[in-house]
Amino acid sequence: MALRVEPSSSDRPSELRVRMATPPPPSRRAPPTEKRPLSLQVRLLGAVGVALFGFLGLTGFALEQAFYESSVQSLRDRLQSFVYAFLSGSDVSVGGKLILPEYLPEQRFSRPQSGLYAGAVGTDIKWVSRSALGYDMPFDAQLEPKSRRFVGPVDTPLGQVYLLSQGIVWEVPGREDVKITFHVAEDVQAINAQMEVFRRTLWTWLLVVAVALLVAEILILRWSLRPLRRVSKDLTLVERGGLEQMPGGYPYELEGLTKSINAFIDSEREQRSRYRNTLSDLAHSLKTPLAVISNELESGSDRDAKGFRLLVNEQVDRMDEIVAYQLSRAATSGHRTFAAPIELLQPAEEIVSSLEKVYAERQVLCEFELDPQARFYGELGDLMELLGNLLENAFKWAKHRVELTARCGGPVTARRRGLELIVEDDGPGIPPDQRERMLQRGVRGDERVQGHGIGLSIVQDIVRAYRAEIEVGASESLGGAKFTVRFQAVA
Amino acid sequence: MRILLVEDEAPLRETLAARLKREGYAVDAAADGDEGLYLGREMPFDCAVIDLGLPKMPGLDLVKALREEGKKYPILILTARSSWQDKVEGLKTGADDYLVKPFHVEELLARLNALMRRASGWTRPTLECGPVVLDTTAQTVTVSGQGVELTSYEYKVLEYLMLHAGELVSKSDLTEHIYQQDFDRDSNVLEVFIGRLRKKLDPENTLKPIETVRGRGYRFAIPRAD
Repeated sequence: MALRVEPSSSDRPSELRVRMATPPPPSRRAPPTEKRPLSLQVRLLGAVGVALFGFLGLTGFALEQAFYESSVQSLRDRLQSFVYAFLSGSDVSVGGKLILPEYLPEQRFSRPQSGLYAGAVGTDIKWVSRSALGYDMPFDAQLEPKSRRFVGPVDTPLGQVYLLSQGIVWEVPGREDVKITFHVAEDVQAINAQMEVFRRTLWTWLLVVAVALLVAEILILRWSLRPLRRVSKDLTLVERGGLEQMPGGYPYELEGLTKSINAFIDSEREQRSRYRNTLSDLAHSLKTPLAVISNELESGSDRDAKGFRLLVNEQVDRMDEIVAYQLSRAATSGHRTFAAPIELLQPAEEIVSSLEKVYAERQVLCEFELDPQARFYGELGDLMELLGNLLENAFKWAKHRVELTARCGGPVTARRRGLELIVEDDGPGIPPDQRERMLQRGVRGDERVQGHGIGLSIVQDIVRAYRAEIEVGASESLGGAKFTVRFQAVA
Repeated sequence: MRILLVEDEAPLRETLAARLKREGYAVDAAADGDEGLYLGREMPFDCAVIDLGLPKMPGLDLVKALREEGKKYPILILTARSSWQDKVEGLKTGADDYLVKPFHVEELLARLNALMRRASGWTRPTLECGPVVLDTTAQTVTVSGQGVELTSYEYKVLEYLMLHAGELVSKSDLTEHIYQQDFDRDSNVLEVFIGRLRKKLDPENTLKPIETVRGRGYRFAIPRAD
């Protein structure tokens, strides 16, 4: 007698049910409450703006400083030339008195508070130009002959001035030398006014340049971000179903992204169609055993109870196999686009230690020959299903030995290297005429070759999902069956 | 052989328990993880059958807890999930075998049989001690090639003794592992079974397969063949 057991409903929900959940709504933007990071445009404009103003500010400051220094220098030169003019026009009388030139080198020395002042001081000599008459100007210092001093701005009763002083000595024949110090000063206002004009012009133009650069920047940004906007627009179209795929013609930098999006769309679509197919396969293949049972019930045939039970039992077995097969098929993901590489050793060891437990009776020795570089690019679940089913098959048929080999394939430079998985045993092997039949394409759960469980069908489904190849042959080293699965390298 | 059965679905639990009892096993059934853990700690089981989807305490946690308690008897897990990741997970936790639902009870019986045999150190399904051969799959006994007719209880007693061939098996061990809790331990039914077994296996009284260790129990005296 056979007792039938339904899967307990308290088990975790099946993979199928989880994956078949209603698709998420088309808009997957973050909720508005979450703070969004700044847009690319704002980032670029902000960064460039800060850099631009910093640069222009520094430039302006440097120019201003340079202009100021050169103004002061030219003022000094002017004052110096006044000193020379005074010198050349002056003389010392026999009595040791200073005789100033008849005409002062500049009108302003004679006009009171004109901003240009001069003075001379020496032994028994003290002179101040008319422009500074009556004010206590700092014209008292006496310098050593031939020494010169330029200071400023200096506070005086007539406002701030730059002051150039020069000491000279007059050689008077037969008498002691006469030492005189000339002082010439000019009001800072002259320079300040000049600076004012310069500053105004300078900053106006810098501002104009800044604005022009910013406008150019905005235009450049809009122009260079246009492809991104196009990508987002096209993506919206794809989401809404207006486009099948992302069209081409994007700049080089975005090509990778759009290609990935297309690959993702493809695999998503493939996945969806696999679910659809699984579902319809499941429904259709269940119909046959159901029809057999319902026919038997309706026809009220003359079968006895035992015969009827046998028939129902047979059909229930069939349905069970179909469900198990389709369930594991639905779980196969075949997402090779974004899969991280998985090392083989750990899953293989886990499976073999499980098999050694379950098939302890058979005392099978399983050996590994794994290339440490070998990686599987896909879901861990798929790898375990693949290894589990192939190895279980080998454990079932092997006399004593099973061997698992993994090798890298394809060029070393490939982005993803290929992988060759080989499972061999020392069992009876598979006759050549049956090998072909075992690997028929498009074999549905209810059309499989009998006697090999659903394991091999699952392996084939995974192989198909990963666009790999499977080959059944005879093992040269062990003498039994040999299953080879080859995954292609991706350049 | 005493079996712990932990399954939350009542119809399945009851039919399985009934069938196992009919096969001559002593069965303690629990409906949830907590009860399963309590029973698993307190009783001397030879094997446990544990469903993975259990209320109160998930099956895998129960398996882990029993192993942490130092319980060494084999555990078979029942699961509706057939992926290799789930199988590996279950076996890694400490289970010894798994069965995917739905299953045939015959399959379960065969697996339990093999598990218990393996747990007592027998690797093959036939237990051989000198001329006495017990086939655990066919449930037949031969002595020097001659078939011996045994009742179900006689068979169970012999199987238990032979599984532990060479070891001392106390009377309470035998009663606990072979009968349900409600069995009257004071009766001399066991002595009667042993007496009948001796007669059937060794009518001429030359082999002396079952030794009585006075006051302590019995021992299957013929050494194992493998």
